Amino acid sequence: MSDSELGYGSSFTVDSVKVIAESVGIGNLVDDAAKELADDVSYRLKIIVQDAMKFMQHSKRQKLSITDIDHALKVQNIEPQYGFIQPDSLPFRFASGGGRELHFIEEKDIDLSEILSAPPPKIPLDVSLRAHWLSVDGVQPTVPENPPPLSKEAQKLESVDPITKLSKPANKDAAGKPVCGKAARLKASESVHVKQLATHELSVEQQLYYKEITEACVGSDEGRRAEALQSLACDPGLHEMLPRMCTFISEGVKVNVVQNNLALLIYLMRMVKAMLDNQSLYLEKYLHELIPSVSTCIVARQLCMRPEVDNHWALRDFAARLMAQICKTFNTSTNNLQTRVTRLFSKALQCPSQTNNESGPSMVPSMKESEKTPLASLYGAVQGLAELGPEVVKVFILSRVRWLGERVEGALSGIGGADRLAAGNLKHQLLKVLAPVVRAHRQPPDLPDDYKREYGYLGPSLQQMVSKLRSSPTGGNAGGAVAVVTCTPPLLPSPSPAPGPSLAPAPAPAPSPSPASVTIQHTSQAHAKTIESVASRNVVITSSAPQSPAPSTPPPQKFVIVSSQQKNQTQPASSAGHIVMHSSQPTIVRSQNSVVVTSGPAGAAPPQKVVVVGVPPPAHQPHQPHQPHQPTAGVSQAPVSVVAKPVFARSGSAQQPPPELDDLSHLA
Amino acid sequence: MGDKSTPLLAVLQLLRKYNLKGTEDILRKEANLGDVEYENLDLPEVELANILTAHHTESDPYSYEFAYDSLKKFVENSLDVYKYELSTLLYPVFVHMYLILILYDHNEHAIKILEKFGPEQDEYYQDDLKRLCAVKNKDQVKGNELAEIYSSNKFQVQLSRDASTQLKRYLHEQKSSPIIINIIKNHIQIDVCDGPGRSHAQVKSTLGGLLGEASRNENRTKVYYGLLKEPDLQILPAQIEDEEEAEETPDKPKKKKAKKDNIFMKKPKSDPNAPPNDRIPLPDLKENDKVEKGKALREAAKRVQLGPECLPSICFYTLLNSGHTAICADICDDSTLLAVGFNNSTIKVWTLTTVRLRGMKSADKLQDIDREAGDVLVRMMEEKDRETCRTLFGHSGPVYKVSFDPFKTMLLSCSEDSTIRLWSLQCWTCIVVYRGHVWPVWDTRWSPHGHYFASGGHDRIARLWATDHHQPLRIFAGHLSDIDCIQFHPNSNYIATGSSDRTVRLWDCLTGTQVRIMTGHRSTPFTLAFSACGRWLASGGGAGEIQIWDLSSGLPSAAIPPASNSPIHALAFSRDGTILASGSLDSTIKLWDFAIISDENINEENGNAAPTQKEDKFLLRSYATKNSPIKSLHFTRRNLLLAVGSYDGSV
Repeated sequence: MSDSELGYGSSFTVDSVKVIAESVGIGNLVDDAAKELADDVSYRLKIIVQDAMKFMQHSKRQKLSITDIDHALKVQNIEPQYGFIQPDSLPFRFASGGGRELHFIEEKDIDLSEILSAPPPKIPLDVSLRAHWLSVDGVQPTVPENPPPLSKEAQKLESVDPITKLSKPANKDAAGKPVCGKAARLKASESVHVKQLATHELSVEQQLYYKEITEACVGSDEGRRAEALQSLACDPGLHEMLPRMCTFISEGVKVNVVQNNLALLIYLMRMVKAMLDNQSLYLEKYLHELIPSVSTCIVARQLCMRPEVDNHWALRDFAARLMAQICKTFNTSTNNLQTRVTRLFSKALQCPSQTNNESGPSMVPSMKESEKTPLASLYGAVQGLAELGPEVVKVFILSRVRWLGERVEGALSGIGGADRLAAGNLKHQLLKVLAPVVRAHRQPPDLPDDYKREYGYLGPSLQQMVSKLRSSPTGGNAGGAVAVVTCTPPLLPSPSPAPGPSLAPAPAPAPSPSPASVTIQHTSQAHAKTIESVASRNVVITSSAPQSPAPSTPPPQKFVIVSSQQKNQTQPASSAGHIVMHSSQPTIVRSQNSVVVTSGPAGAAPPQKVVVVGVPPPAHQPHQPHQPHQPTAGVSQAPVSVVAKPVFARSGSAQQPPPELDDLSHLA
Repeated sequence: MGDKSTPLLAVLQLLRKYNLKGTEDILRKEANLGDVEYENLDLPEVELANILTAHHTESDPYSYEFAYDSLKKFVENSLDVYKYELSTLLYPVFVHMYLILILYDHNEHAIKILEKFGPEQDEYYQDDLKRLCAVKNKDQVKGNELAEIYSSNKFQVQLSRDASTQLKRYLHEQKSSPIIINIIKNHIQIDVCDGPGRSHAQVKSTLGGLLGEASRNENRTKVYYGLLKEPDLQILPAQIEDEEEAEETPDKPKKKKAKKDNIFMKKPKSDPNAPPNDRIPLPDLKENDKVEKGKALREAAKRVQLGPECLPSICFYTLLNSGHTAICADICDDSTLLAVGFNNSTIKVWTLTTVRLRGMKSADKLQDIDREAGDVLVRMMEEKDRETCRTLFGHSGPVYKVSFDPFKTMLLSCSEDSTIRLWSLQCWTCIVVYRGHVWPVWDTRWSPHGHYFASGGHDRIARLWATDHHQPLRIFAGHLSDIDCIQFHPNSNYIATGSSDRTVRLWDCLTGTQVRIMTGHRSTPFTLAFSACGRWLASGGGAGEIQIWDLSSGLPSAAIPPASNSPIHALAFSRDGTILASGSLDSTIKLWDFAIISDENINEENGNAAPTQKEDKFLLRSYATKNSPIKSLHFTRRNLLLAVGSYDGSV
């Protein structure tokens, strides 16, 4: 009964008609009249909708729109209902409850004065034409205009159930797959039907591509690397090469960690980042290779030749961010990814008294000969946990802050230069991470003594930090550019324990790197969260910019994209914006020495600010690496967050050449 | 007057219908009816039935269900030889039972019978049933499109002689309950043909029309499906040579010449199936057009031979930022211009080459031009114009079809505002508005030889026009529902129309008669395409299926079942006729091996052509686009496939 009811249409109920009648002021509609009306209205509506379908079909659509109804009314010689306009199809919302199901249109009250005072809406883009090859001699090229040859769902299915690939008949839908010569000939002759194995054979073109990409990614030419990374991040047809790419990365990390080759590790991490950003790839199958590599880059004891000089902190930050991204994307209830990663980091933070009988995970370099986790690994673990969110910070870091403080204290008072630097960084990082969490969990009276009692050595600094945070307005509306500065950690190694502001590349606003006086300067209106989001944006931009300046080219330019957004949640939207900006880079940059562009990306994302700075060429690279005692930026080439510096360098220290982004080749 | 005399009028009309003069006169005298009423005797068929059935011995509403059940049992129990043919009777009987019950005011019984037997009807009738079930009482029958179609036309059923004898015997046994006998007598046309009963597949292949199968007698006329002889061959070669010499370095003229001769010689001397060249008057070619034709032939010589081994390259034109607004698209024959019709009544024309879209000079400038000059056509264009896209304004409703004339000087468009407009591609203005259609015009197409064009729309009538007449030359009436698509035969002598009544018909332009009616589509055909040889007609339906028809017999020769539910809105044959490309709203382009489709049919011709279901064999490739439903497909003269789609970001 109910089936056929569904099949042969429904009609208005008497109740609906009565409700409608009441709404137009007819209170006492008789049942019979309502019944009669309901029948007739149902019939008329059905006829109108049937006619409207015709208009929909001839408009080559599969969704009925309001204009279709209007046209159907017109055909029946009925005046159309004016005033109902919807650019797209009808946005029906669905609600159910109380055993009823409802479809309705959301209607919001519109404040006319608001519309009147608002700036006029943007003129919609004009229709334009774009041509591309959908197929060349029967083979669909894997260009971004074409859909990926294997959809993400299919890749997922394949990773869950590899049999499907075998059992599927050689389907003609996978036309985009470039058939390599031999297979094509076989197919053409169709002499024997050999059961196809799920091969991972690459065509000659794919092999070439793989070679080119991997060489470019780890080579010394920054321009080519940018292009290669761009290709990894955007090209749709890479899934067949994924196993090789992942092996390349994991092997590369293994080798270069042993050799302490910081630059190559950075390049490899950027490859991981690019692959994660690729919308058409499904990486879950390869996480077993990627995660150990990434976590190595976070917590390894030593990542560079000269820990006292090289900026391996940035690599740890970057890798930690990657790890957070992986966790966010791939965590499911079955693989418990985030739990496992969290456990890994927290084990590194285990204080020795607790861990005496526990052996850490293999990639965490086990206890030093002095049975301590190295400070660098601690830093990595802190950073890794911090990226996973405030709740994790609260549970795993805050509870161990006393012990961590002791470590820092011990190292700072010690003699080892590298250790001291590491301790300084660790302390800064801890404060940065903990302050917002503590602020959220403690009630206002911030007494230094309480802090001292509760958090040990770090207590007073933490107290200062928290009270500063409390006094400043909420971080959301902080000027973005300022936030970039404040987030730049004191990465510079300082040979003398009391460095003056003159040693920092960006004197005024940058926090002093002095371990003794680590406080965030007053400019830090920004909430730590904002800081992180901003910083990660920098990464996106800089790592995928197609034409980052090569070392020897004239004025190196830096791009800093800052948004006043609070959370880093709209990654896709913002990356869309980036692409737009890239295309316009050359013109902006070359024409002027220093330009500030504010552009709102299409869509609803908040406006982003692009700061482009051209730096005069004279002072340049070659001599930098040989001046480790000079605090010029050349020594500490932060691949990630240093980007922000040149922006501010223009005020104070214009004569200082800005650090080349990621160009650490001289370190190798 | 008033209600009282209406039954009398009905009786009078009935008498007149059966030509019973004497009785009619007497009755008229006796009823004392004035001449006025008598002259205006024109009661609608439904009303007539209504009045007359009121005097019928009203039968028991309960017996309908029983009667249908018994007919169903009879069909099921009959031999397999007759079973499938007889089963085609069930649907019309069922529909008319429903309508009669409604007419007799037995609404509950009608709904009951619909719910009981409706779901078991064939799936392609379900849409009709859903539309019909909106009719729930007597008054609604009168105005309902579908109900009127059913009651004023007879449903066609084809039975073999043996099957019809079986049926007669059964009906004889059922004398006590006249319901089915009455329905069959009044509403069903049984077409008895000799020969053995048809198999299940054979019956299925032609089923699906709104009013059943096409009767065979209607398809007996000979159709001249061959191509016309090219009349201008004698003049052309010389001209081309001149041109070639002028523009190409005479490196290897010899080879060129030989090749060219070859093309001209290849044309068959006389195709037995081709109509005489002067069967319908075709316009003489203008000088300019001849040049254009020459170019076409030269291009054709460079054509790539396509086949399963050699698939065409596809160039896809994506309309960005168009959303749902772009409706239709057309690419002109030499693939240099693209026109797109929009929801907002505008038409945009893009150039696909580097040639800019130039307009004509202003009138006073034109006066300075020497009209005798050889290059007058070039000189009259404004050199300064650099547009790559032009917009044509004029319609006042969505533009449902745009079409370039074969010589790309004019553009036709039809719209919801029930007009067809002719645009000049030289002045970029509207030249003529053709009025004649009453409701929206769904489709319009040029004759392949220019001058003529055809249109069809919501008013169920197809019209043949000539550009120099503001009234149609022919009116093709007969479809029972909207004409959704129309297409000219390559020899310009015939027009094919596809309609919402799920038939495809072929009309003769000369006589204006219907020469083929083809049933077998399960959904509304939305696009038609003639094969390059002129013998086959392909139609793509609203449910995604493709039917191939053989014009020589009017029978379906292949049915390609739908791959998805999305309607097919674009079909194109490659220029050498070996590949059929289809574009669907699910954003895929599929290539079919037409050589196999046509070969198979020719081979099977002797064995009483059975439709083939080996669609896997036919499908060569399927290409997906990125959310861009296909609006149009076009093979260039060199067999490159051009496709147009509009990117739909919202999906």
